[in-house]
Formats: sequence, structure tokens, C-alpha cells
Amino acid sequence: MPQLRDSGNHSTAPLDGRTRSEVDAFTRIFGIETEYGVSVTGADAPCNSGQTAMMMFQPIVARSRSTNTYIENGSRLYLDVGSHPEYATAEARDPMDALALDMAGELVMHDLAMDAQRRLRASHGKRTMVHVFKNNADSAGHSFGCHENYLVRRFVPLTVIEHELLPFLITRQIFTGAGRVGERGFQVTQRADFLDEAVSSATTRSRPMVNTRDEPHADPDAFRRLHVIIGDSNRSQWATMMKLATTHLVLCVIEQAGREGRESGFARLAFVDPGAANHAVSRDVSGVGATFDMADGGVISGGAVAMQERYLVAVERFVEDHPEVVASLPRTDVHDVIRQWRTVLETFGSGDADVLADRVDWICKRRLFDALQARTGRLSTSRLEQLDMDYHDVANGTVYASLCRRGGMRTMLGPDAADHALRTPPSDTRAVLRGRFVREAKARGARYSCDWTRLTLMAPQHSEMVLLDPFDFEESERFRRMLGSLD
Amino acid sequence: MPQEFEQIRTADQPQENEESTAVAGVRTGDAADALDAVLDDIESVLETNAEEYVGSFVQKGGE
Repeated sequence: MPQLRDSGNHSTAPLDGRTRSEVDAFTRIFGIETEYGVSVTGADAPCNSGQTAMMMFQPIVARSRSTNTYIENGSRLYLDVGSHPEYATAEARDPMDALALDMAGELVMHDLAMDAQRRLRASHGKRTMVHVFKNNADSAGHSFGCHENYLVRRFVPLTVIEHELLPFLITRQIFTGAGRVGERGFQVTQRADFLDEAVSSATTRSRPMVNTRDEPHADPDAFRRLHVIIGDSNRSQWATMMKLATTHLVLCVIEQAGREGRESGFARLAFVDPGAANHAVSRDVSGVGATFDMADGGVISGGAVAMQERYLVAVERFVEDHPEVVASLPRTDVHDVIRQWRTVLETFGSGDADVLADRVDWICKRRLFDALQARTGRLSTSRLEQLDMDYHDVANGTVYASLCRRGGMRTMLGPDAADHALRTPPSDTRAVLRGRFVREAKARGARYSCDWTRLTLMAPQHSEMVLLDPFDFEESERFRRMLGSLD
Repeated sequence: MPQEFEQIRTADQPQENEESTAVAGVRTGDAADALDAVLDDIESVLETNAEEYVGSFVQKGGE
């Protein structure tokens, strides 16, 4: 396992040539970890979230004697603290690959739920419905997460990331927020009411925005893993792609400054109180109304849009000066991402943000609620909360499915891409090796286990190998021998 | 309903294969029609007990 190193910013040993060139490049490894919430309705007898989640995981436990598994696409599927089914995408080099893997996760959850529902109907009545929510809060005020992982170069200190990236993460929510309706009205994000500390090393007890637990799952002398807590679970495919792509570009600017030993210029965008700024962004549905007290004593008005504008201008300039950044994403057009980012900000600026309802989750929801109440009259908070939750239900939800079918929500990848990603790991990261290992070990009934950096075969004969470099997708002689030992 | 989900996995989605560059903005008239159709689709949701649905979703926290 990679060592835990929270403080070091400099390599303790010289890097080998391959690692050196990875550190020198703008390439990235992306991952999305999604905790799902579960509930049951229509049952004759109560079935709490713990029972429901266990029911979903029963087939997995029967097969692998564990609630912690890796599947054939290289992703991790497990039962997390608090009875959350959780799915962490395999390592992806491109936001579109991460998106496809994330959609595969929705399919996994859907299929587990339908299977559990079939069995529950035998014991709890035929009206039993299992709901699996890709959202971030239940009805009792418990919050849970959608975490993004970015492999970042170790020479960037965590304090720099905290100060320079956090204002971006807080204000990007005007286009990545999933929206939530509650007793106190509608807000842009699911999580603002639950996140307080800016940075913390523990996630279960406190609610930080960026996590500093440093398990890079890569060479710890070269990389760290940035674990972003402040983000909503998105249904919008566009939002998932854009949050990864824009965050990547901002990280490129910060890394390049670190490489050149100079300031990125983002330090002056630090908020005096990130928690307060987060609340302000979440409550400002205009996107341009909030005013922020800055750490340097200044004030920035113009809302999240004004803050995003500053990041976007810096990224635009950076990509002009460093055209090689375009090649950092193998399948996503960096210029197109920048263009869409600008369109979003200009749209908010013109006061016509409703046209973004076909790609921004919170605007989509809000417009739907408004249209529904225009037709039926004012609805109760419970009814709106139900529709809000239904939007996130990947098992039995009708709202989001209808929006996609009717063209009310745009999609970038179809069901075929999700199906494909369910069976196929990305071909250009070590996930392809893990995926192949899992597939072949399963097919031959071998006993095995995985970790992000390790493959272990317990039987027929014990062997183990470490995959430390997430960019390395080539089958080594050792890997071939390990697979060969399965025969 | 499970059938609903089957529909989205097989339904005719006009934009599904387009790259982001090619996705055109939805025109205002189309958007209104789409929204009307969605409101028709979700009428069944409005017939269920909202309090029961919402109240039954209690997790223990996470992360």
C-alpha cells in the first residue's frame, strides 16, 4: 500500500523516468464515488435502510463472502457506513469515461434494487417498491456524499489547493448543484446545509469540503489524491462531465504555477469564510446576487458567476499559453468545455438561466416544480420533496426518466454506453488490468481480492501483485503469469 | 415502475449519440411542450402518499 503522507510536498526519492514524465504532463486520473440512499415504500411490514441495503447486497455476499467487491469494469461496489450502497468508478483518464462508468454504477444499483424488490415482494407484499436515491440527503437531515477524486502532482501543497481551489468548488455549484427543496424553500445545492469545515481529515463525523486523507493509490513521492467532498450527486450527464472537466482545468493552472514556482493568482480569490460563501451560493438562485467577503479584506459582488468568471478567464489564458493542455483529455474537447463554461456564465449574466434547465439539475428541478404548480396550484412541501427524491431514484424513479425521454434533459451518452461501461474498464488506465483480473478469476471460480493498487489471488495458488501506477495499462510478464496460474 | 426504467434504456432518445459540441439548445416552444409531456408522465407520482414516501427515507448518515 502507498504510505500515508499528509505533510510532504517534495519527493523523498528521485522519480523514475516514466513517473517523471507523468508528473511533467497535464494528464489526470478521475474518479467519482457515489453513496446511494435506500428506502422501501408500499410494504406490508417495515423495512429500514439497513435491511434494504443488505437485501440488495445479498447476492454479492453469497458470491464473494464480502460486501466489498470490485466488478468487471474495474470499479468498486460496496456497502458503506450507514447502510449506503456505494460505487466508486474505476480510474478514468477522461471525464467522458468517468461519466460512462458513473452511469454503469446507476445500472448496477438499479439491477440490485430490482432483484431485492422481487425478493422483498415475497415477504413484504406485492406493492413493495425499493428506491435507490442518487442524492445527498434523506428526510431526517442525514447527509451523504458524491466525492470526486483527482490525482494531483505532489509538489502542489494541500494548503494551496485549499485556498485556491475551494472558492472554485463552492461557486461552480451554480452549474453543478443538484438542487433541493425543503421546509426553508428551494436551494441550489443538496449539501450546503451540511458542510461546514473547509478542509478536514475525517469525513464521517464532520462535513468538510475537501478531504486531506492522503491515500494517493499511486506513487506517493509523485502524486497525491485530491478528494473533493463538496459536490452534489448529479443526474445530469452534462453536469458530471463539466464538473470534472472544469475542475481539471483549474487544477492544471494551479499545478503549472507550482511547477514554475510562482503564484497562480487564485490566492486572492479565497473567501474569509468558506462556509458562509457556500450558504450564500446555495441560496442565490440568480447566480449573480451574492456578495463575498474575501480573505484579503476585499469584497466581490456579482455572485458565484463573478467568481467563476475570474477562474474561467485564467483558464482561457492558460490554455492559450499552453496549447498542449488540450491533449490532456483524450476524448473531451477542452475548447468545447471552455465554450460551454462561458455560455453558462453569460446565460446567468443575462438573467435567462432557465434555458439551462436541459443540463443543470437544480434549474431543471426548479422549472419542473414551477410548471407543475402553475398547472395544479400550490403543492405541499412533502409533495415537492417527493418529486425531488423521485428525480434521484435510479430504481423506480419516473421524473428523470421522463425528462430524458421527452427532451427536457439532454444526454451525452445513451444506454448502450452505460451497458458497455458496465462490462468494460477504461482501456488506458490500470483499471483494464483489474477488470480483466476480476473477470477471469470469477469465470474460473478462483478466490481473489482487489484493492486500488493490488490484485490478490488466494486460490488455487497464492499470488499477489501491486499496480502502483494508475496510468500504466500494459500487461506485465508478472500479470500474465498470475492470470496463467488460474488455468 | 421497473417498466419505466426499461423505457429509458430503450427509448428513442434523439440526442443520445451526439457529442457535446453537437447538442443544440432546446428552443423555447419545444421546451414548453417537453415540460407538458413530463407533467403528464408524472401524474401517477402525484397520486401516491407523499408523506409516507418522504418519511420512509431515513439513512444513518455516511461518508
